[in-house]
Formats: sequence, C-alpha cells, structure tokens
Amino acid sequence: MLGIIIGISSVITITTLGGIMEKSVTDTYDALGTTLVQIGLHTKPDADRDYFEFSDFISSEMIEEFEKKFEGRVTSVSMSDSVGSGTVRVNRENLSVDIAGVSPGSINGSMTELVKGRYVTEKDMKAYRQVCIISEKQAAKLYGDENPIGKIFTFTYNNLSYDFTVVGVYKSSMSKLMSAMVDMTGQDWDTTIYIPVTTAQLMMYYGDMTSVGYFYYFTFMGNADESVSELAADAVEFFNTRYYRDNDAVEVMSYTAEQELSMFSNMIGIVSMVITIIAGISLLVGGIGVMNIMLVSVTERTREIGVRKALGATNGSIRMQFITESMIICLIGGIIGILLGLLLGNIVGMVIGITAPASVGAIVIAVTFSMAIGVFFGYYPANKAAKYDPIEALRYE
Amino acid sequence: MDEIKNKPAAGQPIRRPVIDMRGIFKAFYIGTPNQLEILHGISLAVFEGEFISVVGASGSGKSTLMNIIGVLDRPSAGEYYLDGVDISKIADKELSGIRNKKIGFVFQNFNLISRTNALKNVELPMLYGGMPKKQRDERAKQLLKMVEMEDRTNHLPNELSGGQKQRIAIARAMANDPSIILADEPTGALDSYTGRLVMDIFHKLNKEQGKTIVLITHNNELAEETDRILTMKDGNIISQKINPKRTMDDIYRMTGRDPADMKKGGEGK
Repeated sequence: MLGIIIGISSVITITTLGGIMEKSVTDTYDALGTTLVQIGLHTKPDADRDYFEFSDFISSEMIEEFEKKFEGRVTSVSMSDSVGSGTVRVNRENLSVDIAGVSPGSINGSMTELVKGRYVTEKDMKAYRQVCIISEKQAAKLYGDENPIGKIFTFTYNNLSYDFTVVGVYKSSMSKLMSAMVDMTGQDWDTTIYIPVTTAQLMMYYGDMTSVGYFYYFTFMGNADESVSELAADAVEFFNTRYYRDNDAVEVMSYTAEQELSMFSNMIGIVSMVITIIAGISLLVGGIGVMNIMLVSVTERTREIGVRKALGATNGSIRMQFITESMIICLIGGIIGILLGLLLGNIVGMVIGITAPASVGAIVIAVTFSMAIGVFFGYYPANKAAKYDPIEALRYE
Repeated sequence: MDEIKNKPAAGQPIRRPVIDMRGIFKAFYIGTPNQLEILHGISLAVFEGEFISVVGASGSGKSTLMNIIGVLDRPSAGEYYLDGVDISKIADKELSGIRNKKIGFVFQNFNLISRTNALKNVELPMLYGGMPKKQRDERAKQLLKMVEMEDRTNHLPNELSGGQKQRIAIARAMANDPSIILADEPTGALDSYTGRLVMDIFHKLNKEQGKTIVLITHNNELAEETDRILTMKDGNIISQKINPKRTMDDIYRMTGRDPADMKKGGEGK
C-alpha cells in the first residue's frame, strides 16, 4: 500500500508541478513575447577555427541596414552587452551590481518594465552618456523615499570609480517562478543596472572608441502577424548573404523564443518521464506488496472461505470478494496518494508563488490505474481462494 | 413390535427419502497404486421430517459421509439423490447452488464470519442465493427471533458466548429453508447446559417445522434423543437403532412404509 501511495502521489505531484512549470514558462514567454528573435555569431561546421575575430562581429551599421531592410516586419531592435560586475558601497557594505549595456529597444522583450523616469535613448548612445536605470529595490536601499531621478550612482568597476546619473527606475516583471527563485536567495537587491551599450563598451575597452558598436549577438522583435521562424530565417539569410558570404569560418544563426520554449518543454517532458518511470516502478512494487497482503489474507481466512463455500458461495463470488478487497486497498492507497500528491504539488506551488489547478485527468487516471492494479495483483490471490477445496478449507486450523 | 395402525392404503405413493444413498463408495488416492477406501458401499435413506444421528469413533468415516451428504464432496461410486436430485448429474459449478438451497450446515466451532455481525452472518446464504436486500433483512430478523437472538442482531461473533454463536449458526443454516440440516458435533464445543439448549432448538425445528436433521455426534446421550441412530465403523454403517420411544406410527407417518424394511438399509422402493 505504501508503494501505491508513493507511486500515485509522485505521479500527481509531477503532473501538478509540470502544470505549474509549464504555466510559468508560458507566462514568461508571453511576457517576453514569442516574437523575440536573437541573431548571434556561430562558427561554421567545417571552419578551421573555433573562435571569433573582431572582424567577425556584427556591427551597428549592419544592424541599421537590417532595420531599414526589414522595416515593418521588425518592431524593435535591441543591442546589448554585459560589461561585468562592479561594486556599490552602501552603508559601509559592498554590494555587487551587474552592469548591462542596452540600447533603446532593449526594454521590449526584456523582463523589465520602467516605473519612473526614462530608458536609454539614442542620444545617450551617441554621446556615451553616463546614465543608468536602476531597480526599485536599489533605489529604495540607496535613496529611501527620495526621488532617485537625477541622483548620482557611484560604483566601482575594474578598480575605477564611475559616477552615473540615475535617469530611470525599473521593476522586474519576471515570471513569478523566477522572482520566487530570486526571493529564495534572500536578496532584496536586484543586481542589474542598465546603462547605454556604447558607454558600457567604452568602459570595457578602456575608452577605445573604435571598438564600440560591435556585437556577438543582438535581438529583435518581429511583427506578430508574421511567423517568427520565417522572419528569423529571412534575417539569417540577410546577414549571411550580405555580410558573411566571404567569411570562411563564421556566420549568423537565429534563436527564437519558440525554440527555447520547446526546448524547455522537452526538458520538462524528460524529467516527468523519468519520474513517471520511477512512479511506475513503485506502483509495480506496491502492486506486488498488495498481492502479498492478499495472499496472506487468503491464507489467514482459509476457513472463512471454506464456510462461505459450504453456505453456497460459488468460486466466482469468492474470487469477486477478494478482487474487490484488493481493489479497495489499492483505491485507498491511491486516494491517499492523490491527496498527498496534491498537497506536495501545492506546497511547492505556494513556495514559488504559482498554483496550478490540479489536473483532473491525472486524478481520474490515477484512480483508474490504482483500481486496475488492485484487479491485476488481486486476481492471483483471489483465484487461489476461489479454487480452495471446501473440505480442506473447513478443516484448516 | 407395536402394531401398525395406520398402514397406508394400497396404491398410495411411497414418499421419497430426502437423502437417498445407494452403495456409496469413497476412495482417496494417496499416490498410486495405493488407494484408501473410506466408505465401503453405504446405503442410507433419510425421510422428510426425520431426526437421525450418526455416531462412531473418529476415523469411522462419519465426516466423509457428512461431506458427501452435504455435497461438499462427491462419492467415488454409487448413487446419491438429494431431495430427488441426482447429484452425479450436477456439474461442479452448480453444487454450490445445491448447498445453498438444500443444505444448512451447523459446525462444531460455529464458523461464523468474525468480521460481520449476527444479522449479516444469517443473511450470507441468502445473499449467495440472490435474495433481495429487504427480503433478506426481514427473514434474517425472523430467524434470529426464532432462535431467541433478536436482541443480539448487531453483535459481532466475538461478543457472544458459544451457545449464542451456535444459535446464530443454526439461524444461518435455516436461512434458505433447506431440505436438511447437517449438524457436525454442534454441541461439541459447548458445556452440557448450553448444549442442551442447542439440542432443544433442533428438536423444536424438527417438531414444529418438520425439518430433516442429520446430527453427527460423539455423545450417545444426545443421539438417544433422535429418531434413529446410525453407528459407523470402518466405513460401514454397522447398526441402526430406532428410538424405542418412537411409535411405529411415527415411523410410518414419516416414511410411508413398513419399518421392517428400514433395517435393511432403506432401499428406495
């Protein structure tokens, strides 16, 4: 019975969690927009080198050309570059910040949303302005109730101190799942600050302006009317025929949110499958346990079986009686398992802040399956009972 | 011998015995070529309304005979008509139906189903007989009243004394109004006082309802109370003793024929 409980509860937990995960993933991608496409560098399969050279990078000119060419089909373009991390001194405490260089279009399809001030602008980009967008939590910690806009945000990066002007405040619109995971780490500090990508690259390359404006990758959002994969394929073709045809080692490739979503779904699928197999094994073991219980019960009640037969019970009615008993045992196990599974699934769901409705289908299947186990593993003992010779059974001590 | 007063008129049909056994053999195979013969050609006729007892030492074949009478077992050879039904022509599957309808078992150790209450125990044969719930309930209560156990309807067997359990077992045996009641040492596990009470119930059933009862016992005193005592030894009925208190009239009334015949083992004709 324990096996049945474990088996059924793990199946229900998994289906509940699977539902939660799927919901949160689709929530995330709904927020991101499923039209998000990333174009990134990638070495050709038959290339004789496996690294990128500076000349391989996607330049901002290329991206501008692309925007012109795809006008109407592409709603926004985002160039970004992660600079690395710096430290901010707050109340004699060093806090780390991740410095992300972004372009004006980056707010679209990011998991952030502007709550105050403005985002990075073209002007910021062109003038390498030292402006930054900080998070609500950072603003609260650094400036309390004061208006953070216009404040100077001082941080250290590569042992150099930088003073940036706060122009905007953002808030994470991460999915509940992800923010729950962040919350679990106990941080009240979103680590990322956003600065213009040009400024960021200038910082990175120690002020070498000629290195600014080259990217490994960039992202854009497609028009929702069009198939994302088609758009992505067209974009890749545009870059590869126009800029990378003569490049013998490097070309661009696209990654769409859709692809990632399906990858994620596959992953969930594999995890669920593994756990389902484990659940199946425990159900099998549980079933054998039930068979064992029933065999013991049949032996213990040999005399009762004899009496019942003497009173006119047919083999069929004896068999039915024991199969029913086995089914009830399994059903009780199954129901406990379902309750336990729902409880577990919902506890986990509560911790991460998302509750998915219990899958009715899974419960129906679980109930049916546990009854089927009862019938399957109860049949042998029941049949044994049914075939007892009444005289022998009556004589049994 | 008493004079027979009410000899039936010529041409009146002779009543068929409820139990009609002719030359019953029973052998067990205990590995070839050994064969253990337990019953060596028993012929027996028991008439409706008779209360007979079977006595004999252990190993005399009493139990085997009882199993055959109760159609828990089949004879190796010979004919057995139970209430006019030729048992040899009945399929194994249908034997349970015969047991259910025609035979009421009362065991030495009561054999009540321990997990269910008195009422459910009494209902059990009716359940197997396919009687509807309401009718079953009614009849079970009536039967419990008959054995004066109506105030113990909801008690479990382990809450009852031996005598009470046996009374419930008798009520259960009567459930489907069987042709015969087969009681195997029904007082064996009871003290003499409660044993007496149980015997009184059998007598009552026999007298008031005309039930045919076959009592298997070690107790000669109890056997003496019955209409006829069969003594078994080594697989044979070695003697038949008709209760001297029974008048020839009684026997004649039951059998519809000359008691002198019965000494020969009661051939059906």
